This record gives sequence, C-alpha cells and structure tokens, in this order.
Amino acid sequence: MLLKRICWVFSLFLLASIALQAAPTKEAGKELFSANCGSCHAKNMKDNLTCPALGGVEERWAAYPKTDLYKWIRASQAMIAAGHPRATELWNQYKPTIMNNFPGLTDEQIESLLLYIKEPTSGPPKPPEDPTDGPKESGNMWLFAGLALILGLLAFALMRIIDNLGNITRVQAGESPVSRTLSQVLSTKGAVAFLVFALVLFLGYKAVDNATRMGREQNYQPDQPVAFSHKIHAGVNKIDCQYCHDGARRSKQSIIPATNTCMNCHSAVKKGTISGTSEITKIFASIGYDPLMSQYIPDYENWSEKQIEDLYKKWIGQEYMSANSLTAMNDAGRTVVESQWEGIVKALKNDSNGKIQGPIEWTRIHNLPDHAYFNHAQHVSIGQVACQKCHGPVEKMDVVYQYSTLGMGWCINCHRETEVKFADNDYYKQYERYHEELKDGKRTKVTVSDIGGLECQKCHY
Amino acid sequence: MHHDNGIWVSSEDLTRDESFLRSAEKEFSVETMAESDGSWTASRRDFLKLMGFGLGAATLAASCEIPVKRAIPYVTKPDEIVPGVANYYASSFVNGGDYCSILVKTREGRPIKIEGNTLSSVTSGGTSARAQALVLGLYDMRRIHSAGTVEGGEVKKLDWKELDNKVKGQLALGGNIRLITNTILSPTAKMALAEFTAKYPNTRVVSYDPVSSAALLAANQQCFGVRGIPNYKFGEADVIVSFGADFLGTWISPIEYARDYAAKRKIKSIKGATMSRHYQVESHMSLTGSNADNRILVKPSEQGAAICALYNEVAALTGGAGIGGPTLNDKAKASLKKVAAELVASKGKSLVVSGSNNVMEQIIVNKINDLLGNINTTVDFSVVNNMRQGDERDMMRLIGEMNAGQVSIVIVWGANPAYELPNAGQFKDAFAKVNTRISFNGSLDETTGLCSHAAPAHHTLEAWGDAEPKTGHYSLQQPTIAPLFETRQAEHSLLEWADSQNLNRQDDQPYYQYLKSVWASDMFAKQNKYSTPAAFWDMTLHGGVFDMHAAPVTVSFIAGIALNASGVTQPGSSELEISFLETVNTGNGQYAHNPWLQEVPDPVNRTVWGNYLNIPVEWDGVNNINGWKNLNDGDNVEVEVKGQKLSCTVVRTFGQMPGTVAIALGGGRESGGCGVGYGVNVNPWLPIEGGFIQYAAKEARVTPAGTVDKNFACVQFHHTMGVQAMGKEEGKVINADEKSLGWKGFQGSLTDRSIIFQTNLSELPELAEKMTEFHEEASHLNAQTLYPDTAEYFGTGLKWGMHIDLNACIGCGACQIACVSENNIPVVGKNEVNRHHEMTWLRIDRYFYGDIENPKVVYQPMMCQHCDNAPCENVCPVNATNHSMEGINQMAYNRCIGTRYCANNCPYKVRRFNWLDYTTADVWPGNEDRVFWVEGEDKPYYADNLVRMVLNPDVTVRSRGVIEKCSFCIQRIQEGKLTAKQEGRAILDNDVRSACQTACPTGAIVFGNLNNPDSAVSKASKTSGALAYQVLEEVNVRPGVRYSAKVRNANEELHS
Repeated sequence: MLLKRICWVFSLFLLASIALQAAPTKEAGKELFSANCGSCHAKNMKDNLTCPALGGVEERWAAYPKTDLYKWIRASQAMIAAGHPRATELWNQYKPTIMNNFPGLTDEQIESLLLYIKEPTSGPPKPPEDPTDGPKESGNMWLFAGLALILGLLAFALMRIIDNLGNITRVQAGESPVSRTLSQVLSTKGAVAFLVFALVLFLGYKAVDNATRMGREQNYQPDQPVAFSHKIHAGVNKIDCQYCHDGARRSKQSIIPATNTCMNCHSAVKKGTISGTSEITKIFASIGYDPLMSQYIPDYENWSEKQIEDLYKKWIGQEYMSANSLTAMNDAGRTVVESQWEGIVKALKNDSNGKIQGPIEWTRIHNLPDHAYFNHAQHVSIGQVACQKCHGPVEKMDVVYQYSTLGMGWCINCHRETEVKFADNDYYKQYERYHEELKDGKRTKVTVSDIGGLECQKCHY
Repeated sequence: MHHDNGIWVSSEDLTRDESFLRSAEKEFSVETMAESDGSWTASRRDFLKLMGFGLGAATLAASCEIPVKRAIPYVTKPDEIVPGVANYYASSFVNGGDYCSILVKTREGRPIKIEGNTLSSVTSGGTSARAQALVLGLYDMRRIHSAGTVEGGEVKKLDWKELDNKVKGQLALGGNIRLITNTILSPTAKMALAEFTAKYPNTRVVSYDPVSSAALLAANQQCFGVRGIPNYKFGEADVIVSFGADFLGTWISPIEYARDYAAKRKIKSIKGATMSRHYQVESHMSLTGSNADNRILVKPSEQGAAICALYNEVAALTGGAGIGGPTLNDKAKASLKKVAAELVASKGKSLVVSGSNNVMEQIIVNKINDLLGNINTTVDFSVVNNMRQGDERDMMRLIGEMNAGQVSIVIVWGANPAYELPNAGQFKDAFAKVNTRISFNGSLDETTGLCSHAAPAHHTLEAWGDAEPKTGHYSLQQPTIAPLFETRQAEHSLLEWADSQNLNRQDDQPYYQYLKSVWASDMFAKQNKYSTPAAFWDMTLHGGVFDMHAAPVTVSFIAGIALNASGVTQPGSSELEISFLETVNTGNGQYAHNPWLQEVPDPVNRTVWGNYLNIPVEWDGVNNINGWKNLNDGDNVEVEVKGQKLSCTVVRTFGQMPGTVAIALGGGRESGGCGVGYGVNVNPWLPIEGGFIQYAAKEARVTPAGTVDKNFACVQFHHTMGVQAMGKEEGKVINADEKSLGWKGFQGSLTDRSIIFQTNLSELPELAEKMTEFHEEASHLNAQTLYPDTAEYFGTGLKWGMHIDLNACIGCGACQIACVSENNIPVVGKNEVNRHHEMTWLRIDRYFYGDIENPKVVYQPMMCQHCDNAPCENVCPVNATNHSMEGINQMAYNRCIGTRYCANNCPYKVRRFNWLDYTTADVWPGNEDRVFWVEGEDKPYYADNLVRMVLNPDVTVRSRGVIEKCSFCIQRIQEGKLTAKQEGRAILDNDVRSACQTACPTGAIVFGNLNNPDSAVSKASKTSGALAYQVLEEVNVRPGVRYSAKVRNANEELHS
C-alpha cells in the first residue's frame, strides 16, 4: 500500500519535471537576465540603477495586454514613438536613457525572465556541504534518527513491561499497583545519568566537529575589487585556465594573473559583455592604458589622480554616449560616469597602495594554513588533475567561491583513490617492485598513497 | 687516566668528573631556566593563571572571524620571475679581502640563500660560514637608511643632491684627500678611484686589512720582486708546514686552500692509501692546527726561532748556509729536525707557509721554500692572489698626517679603523682634526660614528661590481634585489664627486652602465673567447666568473738578500704570553654584527657570542686535569697586556701550550649592530713592531677575578652523546645518556660505543680489519630482532642517505650556517644558548684524542641520522614523528604536542625543542623578553619585518612547544623530485643536494639516493669500504647517515 503511494508520488514528480523542462524556467530566466539585463537593471530587482528596478513589472503592466510588455521589452523606442501610455510614462521618467532592443527574445524566454524577476534567487547555487560524501552523510543521519526512534520506543516499551511486571508481582503480593508519572520516570537516577552522558557526548562531538571546521572556509565567496566573471572568460569564451593562471603548470602557486596578462585581450576588448566600461576601465587604470588612443601611457607612474580621473571619465562618457546614440552628455550619463569612476577608485586605492596606479588587490579565496605545502605544478603537470576537481565548476561561476573544504581528509582521500600516471613517466621507473607486480598481475594499479602520498612530510615541512 | 676509546671532549670527560655527568645529562637544562631568574618557577598559582589564559585564548580564538587575506599580483610581471619558483643569480661575496663566488637564491625578488658557484676555479662551489651568512646582513635592521650628516650618533637625513653639493664644495677647496679602505678586489672600482684621483690629484688611497698580511707582501716584494701573494698549491704538496698560518680557516683564501688540502687527504682506497702530511707550528689550537697531523708547540715569541731552526736544518741538508737564530724549546727543535728531513725528501712537492707579520720571518720562509725547490711549483707566481693588499704602515703614516693637520677630507670605505687598529685611540684623536669625514659604511660603526657625513653604500647583494681575487680570475657581482634603503653605490658616489664624464647620470643604474662599459672595453680586449662585448658580458654575468689563462711566470729568489736571524721575533722571557687569533665567524669584528655568525660555535673551543680567553689545561701526569690556575670554564679574569686591563671570561682549551693563553679578535664592538656588548675588544693589546701589527704579545698577566660569567655560552656539554662519567650512585663509570634515561643495561651500554673511529695512516689496514669485525658483530647483534626486515619496504623507489668523510671535514662551520639559512632556524641569543636552548639542526661535535697535552682533534658533523629503526618514532604519543618510505624520519610540527619523549630517546641528541616562540617572537606574554633582542631595539629580533624577509617561504616557521630537527632538506628533495618528474626522467644526484652539502668547501658531505648504486653517496660508502660506519651502529637504530673513519698521517717519531 505504502509502496504504491510512493511510486505514485514519484512518477508525478517525474512528470512534473519533464513538463517544466519545456515551459519557461526561472533558471533560464536567470541566465537571460545576466546576459542581457544585468548591466543596467539591479540584480536584486529592488533598486533603481541607470534603469528602473524590475521587481513588480508585471503588476505595473497589468492594465495592458501581456503582448504589450513583450513588445516593450523587444523594442521600447518603437512603443514610445507609437505613444503607448505606459511607455510614454516611463520615457518621461527615465529619458534620455534608452533601453536596448532585444528583438531576438522569444515569448518563452520573456516568460522565463519574468519568472526570474518575480523571484530572483541571489548568489550561485550552493554545493552540498561536502562534495565527496555529503549526501551519504545526510542519508546516514535519517538512518540514525530512525534507529534512535526505534530504540527509544523499545526502551519505552521495555520500561512499560518492567512496570507492568512489577505491578503484577505487587498485585500478586497483595500490594496496590504503583503507577509512575513521566516526570517520575525521567527523574530516576538512571535516566538522569543517561541524559548527562548523552549531553556530554553530544557537546563533545560538537566541540570536536567545530574545532576541525575552524579556519575552513568552504563556500567562501568574498566581493572582489573587479567584478571579474570566470563564467564569461572560462565558460562562454572558453579561455584555458592556464592561459591566465600560468603558474599552475610550473610553480607551487597557480598565480593570479598580472594586469598585463589581462591586457593581452583587453587592449582590444575594451568593454565588457555585461559590465560595459565599469570593470575593464579598472584594468586600464591599474596599468595605465589609454583606451581612447589605444596605447600605454608613458610616465603613468607620475600621473596625478586628477589626470587619471579626466582621462577615464572621458572614456566612460564617450562610450556611454555612443552606446546610447547621444550627441551630448546628459544627467544620467554623468551619474554613470561618476559612479563608475567611484568604482575605480574604490577598487584600486587602498591602505597599502594610496594611489590609482598599481596592482589590483584581490581578496584571496583559497587559503591553506602556513604549515601545509601545496604545489600546483605537481598536481596539474604531473598528476594531470583537472582544475575543476578541486576548484569546482569555475567556468560556471560569476563570482568564484571556495568549492572544496581544502581540509586534510579531503586531500588524503584523493591521494588514496588517485592512480599515478605510472607508465608515462620515466621518473617512476625506479619503483621496480610495483612494475613487476603490475606485470605479474599482483597489482592492478598504483595509487598516490602507494608511493608515499599519505606521508606527513609530503606536505608538512 | 681512564678513557677506554681514547676519545674525549673535555677534561671532565677525561677524568670522569661527576659535574660533567650532570652537565651532559641536562639535554634541555630546565634547571638553569628556573635558576636564572625567579619568575619562571611555576607555582600552582602560575599554573592556574596560565590555564585561565589558555582557556580565554581558546575561547577568543574560537570566536574570531578568519581574517581577510589579500592576493596582490604584479601589474607587469617580469618574464624571469614565476612566483613560487626560485631564481638563482651568480654574484660575488667580497668583503675586504674575503672572496667567494656565489649563487644567490631569490624568491619573488628576495634573496634568501647563498650557494657556492661551481663554475669558479677559485672556490669551486665551496663556501665559508661568512659567505653563507651574507644574506642576513642585507636585512640588518641597523643599516643606515639614507645619506646624511652624522650628529650625536645618528644620521640626519640629507638628500643625495644636497650631500653631493656639500661634498663637492669641500673637495673643491683643494686640501689633501685620503681614502681609507680594506683590500679592494674590484678592477672597476680601482678605475673609478683613478678617475677620482685624476680629478683631485691630492688624493691618496690608504689600504690596510683587518688582519694584516703586510709583512708577507713586503717579503715577497723583496725576495721575488712581486708585491703579491703567490698561488699556494696545497693540493700538490706532500708535506705542508705551517707556522701559525690558519689557512683552512681564515688565512688569505681559506675556501680554495681547504678544497685543495682535503683533496690530498681523502682515502681513495684502503690498500695503498696516501695522504699529505701536515705539520702545524703554533701555541694555541687553531682550526688549521686542529686538522694537522702533528702540532709542534712553540710560544708565540718563538715563532721566529722555530722558522730559523727549520731553515738551519733544511740548509744543512741542502747545502745552504746556516743563519743561527734565537733559542727554541728542545722539543720543538728536535721535531723540526725531523720535519726538515722529510721536507728535503719531498723537494719540489712540499710547502712551508707562515702567518707571521714579520718581514724577516717571511723572507726566511721564502728562502726555505726556495731551498726546497718549491718556488714555481707549489709556490706559484704565475697567478698572483690579490686577496690581501693592505699595509698598515700607510695607516700609521696617515695618522701622522692627520695629526699634523695636513688632511682636510677623509673618505672611509668599508674599513673600520676606529675599532680595528691597535692604536685606534690615536686614530680617533687624529681623525677629529680632519675637517670633512665621510663614510661609505652601511652601518653606524665606530668609525662612521666619528664622521661628519654618511654616504651609505649598497649592501653587496644590492650592488653592481666585479672582483679579481686572483690575477686573471674575474668575477662579477650583480644586484639581486632593488636597494632596500636610499643608499648609493660607493663607486657611484666617487664618480659623481669626480664629475666623471663616464657616468651616465640619466640612467637608472649609472654604475651598472659604467661597469658594463669598462668590461666592454678593457676586459673585453683581454680575452679572445667571445667575439662581441655583449656576448662576453652576458655569458660572464650568467656564469659569474671568467678566467683568463695566464702564461706561466717563473720567478727566482733574488740573490743577495740577507737573511738575518736578529730580524725575527726574539723569544720573550715572561711567565705568560698571549696570542690573538682570527676565528672563522667574526673575523676582526667585520662580521660581529651578524647573529648567525655569532651563534655558530667557535670550532675549537665551542663558545658562542663573544671572545673568550683560551687557557691551557694542566695534567698532573697521574689523575687530575685542571684548568690553568685552577680556573674553570666561565670564570672571569682580569687580563693585563701592554698596561691595559680588560675583564675576560676563560675557557679551558686542550692543545693550548702551557705558559701561553690566546683570545680571538673581533669581540667588544661598540656600535653598529647586534654584536655590541659581546666579548672584549683586544685590538688595543696588539703590539706594533717595525710598523707591522703583531698578533701576539710577549707579556700578559692574568688575575682571577673570583667571579663567574652567568651567561657563559659554550655548547661543549650540550647534546653530548656516548660520553661516560663516574656515576655517583653507581660508583662506577656509566654512559651519560644511559644515566639520563634512568635505564640500566640497555643494549647500547653493554658494548663499546662507536662514535669516532680513528687511526694513523700507517695502521690503516689494522683499523680496517678491526672495523670489519665490528661491522660483523654489530650486524649479528642487529639481526637478533623479532621485527620483520625492512629491506623490501625501502628497496623500491628512493632511499635517501648521507655520507660524511671525517677526513675531509675541517670543522669550518659553513654547513651549519647553510642549514640555519635554509631551514629558518632561529637565533636564540646568548642567554638561551647558556640554557642549552640553541636550535641548530646540525652541530659539529669536536672530539680530542691522543696525547693529553697536545691532543689531536676530529670534527663530526652531527644531525638527525634518519634511523630506519628510529627510537624517537615509537615513543611519540601522537605519531608526530614517523618514517617515510624514502627513509626519512619525518617531523610534523603541527601534530607535535611537545612531550619531548622523542628527544629523550634520541641516541644522537639531535632533536631541538622550541622552548619559546623564537621566530614569531611576539605571540605569548612573557616570551618577548627571553627571545633574542638586539640591544636598544623596540621589538624582538624576529618580530622585525625586515629580518623576516630572510625566511625561506618553503619551510614552516615553527612555533613554541614543538620539536624540530634535520629534515634532510625535505623541501629540496620534493623540489628535485618534481623537476625530474617534469622532465620525465630518473632522479639524478644534482637534482637534490642538501644545504650542508652545497656549502661544504671540501666535499666532505655527500647526499643522495642509496637505492641507486651509481649515486655519489652509494659510491662514497663503497669507496670507504670497511672504514664507513654508522654512529652507534650496534644499537640497531639503522641510521641513514654514514661516516668514514678519521685517518691521520702523523709522524709518530715526533712524540708531540
């Protein structure tokens, strides 16, 4: 009976999920939003940026047919020209800011967008607590809870039996039966001792558990001075990780690329897909590149902040005007220029570097303790471990977060499981015994732990 | 007199003194910790307080948020720098006459380690302790930060332009200008000086050396017409006689001499082994003397007599005319007669040198070499050694000139005459009469403090330069870091003041351009290997050195030079004579401000942080050995020489001739760095005879002061092993570490302990036989085990091991500093050393054997032996120390809880405990005032961010409460393995070389893969055959380090 019901619920869920695949989804909406809308409309749907907040857009357009909203999104200027009342109202409020045209959006896509706008989820999807054995653990938790319940019931039943047996003997002995209340039961010596024991056990477990977690920063996702998107670079544009992180193959550090590495592409790509001028100008300001003249500024070191400000404001303003097909600067444009310049100052000037020129100070996400030695080259060049194995789907992250625990257990586990590329490298010829065992079939593989990968001084020295 | 194995470390060891037992067992000396001041005695109240603090700290730590860390990339990354990968630059270590061709290891543009440059034909990849310590000097917190005027012991900052204008104004006035320097090795610096002199013709350069060889130069000028030092070929001499010349430690070119010397002394095969024979004639036990086959004891004032005696004997045998000479003690005279015969027997293949600073003595030594046919063979003038060029007589003349008011400007360049000169007082008075006094020195030393202007030069590692240590051997010096402070190249200053047309002031590095252009013209023209100046420059800069092969030059002893025995030092008649020696660590004070060098023990008397009066030990011939005048180590005495009294601390030293005492130079610095306040300045005691500074005085008076130096720091009794003493309770001789274990009858104590094996060359086959027997017995003993054999476990892959040739080890201490530098080993300071808390992973044990009054010495570098059956591993309650399949005894600091069981159980006493937070230096309350501070600074030494730049980023900085020890340079092993893997090939010897191995000038230490029969370490053990042994082989700990026995080629007829 129960089994039947479960099957029924399950198939219903399956059906629903298939149906949802074809219909507009929030996930698709989110992607569309970041690709098309995010640079002008606030992601939280509540704040007005250069353009109005989108939250409640459907309510505001409720007085008109849904197709009007579709039209508005695809070609807003045309609707203003046609004199649509809601369109005119908006234009008066926000002119001269022009909304880009999106003629390619299908009705489903717009519905997806609207779904997303209605209920935006903030941040990336959180990975499970522990990617290696997280789900298993939560399964165990239920098992334990069930067991505890059964044991508890058993204990209760036994207690009742003991009580009843006691009463039977008492009745047989001619005494009156005693009936204990729950509070009486709980205040017996045994029960109190058990509770104290359980409490100590629980607190001890929690203390140890928390102590091991101390200093671990899984899911750490700090704000960065430059809103650099790995998704755009590694995901959409498919730039190889090691193009920028060129230390990974040859050094212990993977290396955060120097500004001049960025400039390899960004001397040509001067505006971002999403961010326009706001982020890439930060790179220019760091290294001293004049995007107007397409050349590096000689003597940039000695430029005053005013000089820098003038140059980049001019650049941002010019780009704003051309994007909006303006011939003269308007107020909204000036706000954009001002806010982008403030962003540059905030990103580049800090306590250790009191001026615009100079390096970008990133916030470090992956921090190993000082007593742990990790070498990227060993893992990337020799072990040929994919970056994603430890860093997760970086190519899908707009803002990078720490994917793995970076705890010792996590390292050790991988060393236990990973097979050494034994045949391809002459270095491993010295492990003669293993080669023989492989040949004789006594051994099927050589793992990192077999060549000492679990030893303390492989990482701690 | 009871000493079973004939080897001892001190008189107490020899006499089984009970106090020695107590001292030796105190591995960690907690007792002295409590004794030294009351505050550390832990009461219950302290315990509760600390516990409260601990709980509080833990709560605080738990509630703290993790700090935000920044990652700052380059803006424009230099091509050659990959963060995380070290870069090496060839350069030169030059300090006065000290020279070493080096490679500087930099990480992210920060020099952190010095290595030897194997391309150099002068030093061949060897280094000295001084060269190794160079990098710490760069991060000296007492460096002068900018140019300025010197007022009241401070530098008031001036703009360089301002200073230039002031100086040029003074120079234009036209008075006499004098430059005071030590030896200058740089040809380009000499060109800059020449330009300066051309602009200001009233200029004269006055050079002297901190420890003088002026008489040797003068004698060579007279005898051969060359004012230079010949190429002494210690590697080609079968018999070497040295009259007080410490050629392995400090004399002229010790790295080169040590390499050549050791090559002749390694045993290549037991059958038909040959070695050179080395006689040392001296009064105190010098580093070179301790390595000699025979030491002939003469008083310092008898050196002249001894030289004459040898000359007379040699002349008698070769048909020369005798010259008579002062009287010499009979024993030495008889010995020298036999030495002469031996010298004559190996004519043309012998070498006589003298460290004396008396011209006639040096002339007679030259004549002895001439009679022996050594001139142009082992004494070769084809290549002249430039490492000593100074003449203190010039300095004396300058003092006269300054006193007469004839000098208006003095520029001090590197020299420190206000400390180094015996007549520093006179110098100071005269110096004050000079109108403008400018110093290029990097710190506010005694002389710079008296100057009017400071124009601080770059540190060696920040500067461009070149050197010509030997004629035709050129060496470039390049900066490895941008200048840390607003300093300026000294040569640049000179050229600037000379308004040189050749200095391109628009360039970022004007002196670099100047140097390069000199090399493109002058140097380029001298060679024919490269066809363009650019190629010549690039290749030389890359390799660091360039040799131009000189045509052989033969010289002959100029006829008609009168040998006059009355010109030599005449023996004194006083009860007590004193000699002054230069040690490998502090020199004559030039290196006193380097904490690494201060904390490396003197090789012979094993003291640190200061200079101590070496006094002889007296033996009553039966049972008692006492210090002279019944003085004990650490007793204070009043010493009076030349009417000047100083308070010194004594240390009893075997091999110090009765009737003599000795003390090292270089103590008692008054200003300029961390060496201030350690030891006494003995320079004022040095006599001047005939204008030459003498390093011995004929009369000294020593009066016991009745007090004891509470912080006497001598590592003699720290971490001893295998030494025996009379047990008080047992009433019999027991092993000291057996006593400390509180365990009787364990395996090690039942057998003779095997720490040192030694013999004379003549008895080598017997020793080999004895050792074969010993190996058999040990392996039989070791086979009696219940545990499974580990051979298979270690048989595959890598197995790291080390081989140390005791015959090649001269005890110079370079390896010890290299280890300190590589592994972030903290300096703990004198008080902490006194409490047995020194942290060095590698120590050089010094043992005596042979004649008690004139013993022989063997040095044994001792570090973690990486036992495959390690006693430390099984006692660790938390498994913080365990074994790797590559044969390394691993230490995980972050797992260690500090029980120190492992250190207790280590038979070699090589584990060190961090009693305090030495390197972080500021974490725990009550910690700061116990760790090392430099006097007058506002924070502990290692709390200074400048000092911390020297730390190796690949090695964990250990915190308080954990044990540490030699790791076989695991970071180098890992790096070497990675290189091999990346290149897809087997690992080679050169991929992994331990820090101590690379530092060693004699190649005594070999490290590598024992599983590879072709590796150098396997071959070294194979070559040594039965002579190779493991220390305490019989106790079945199975060490990964092997030693080969010490063999001497002593002349047994000498009885001395």
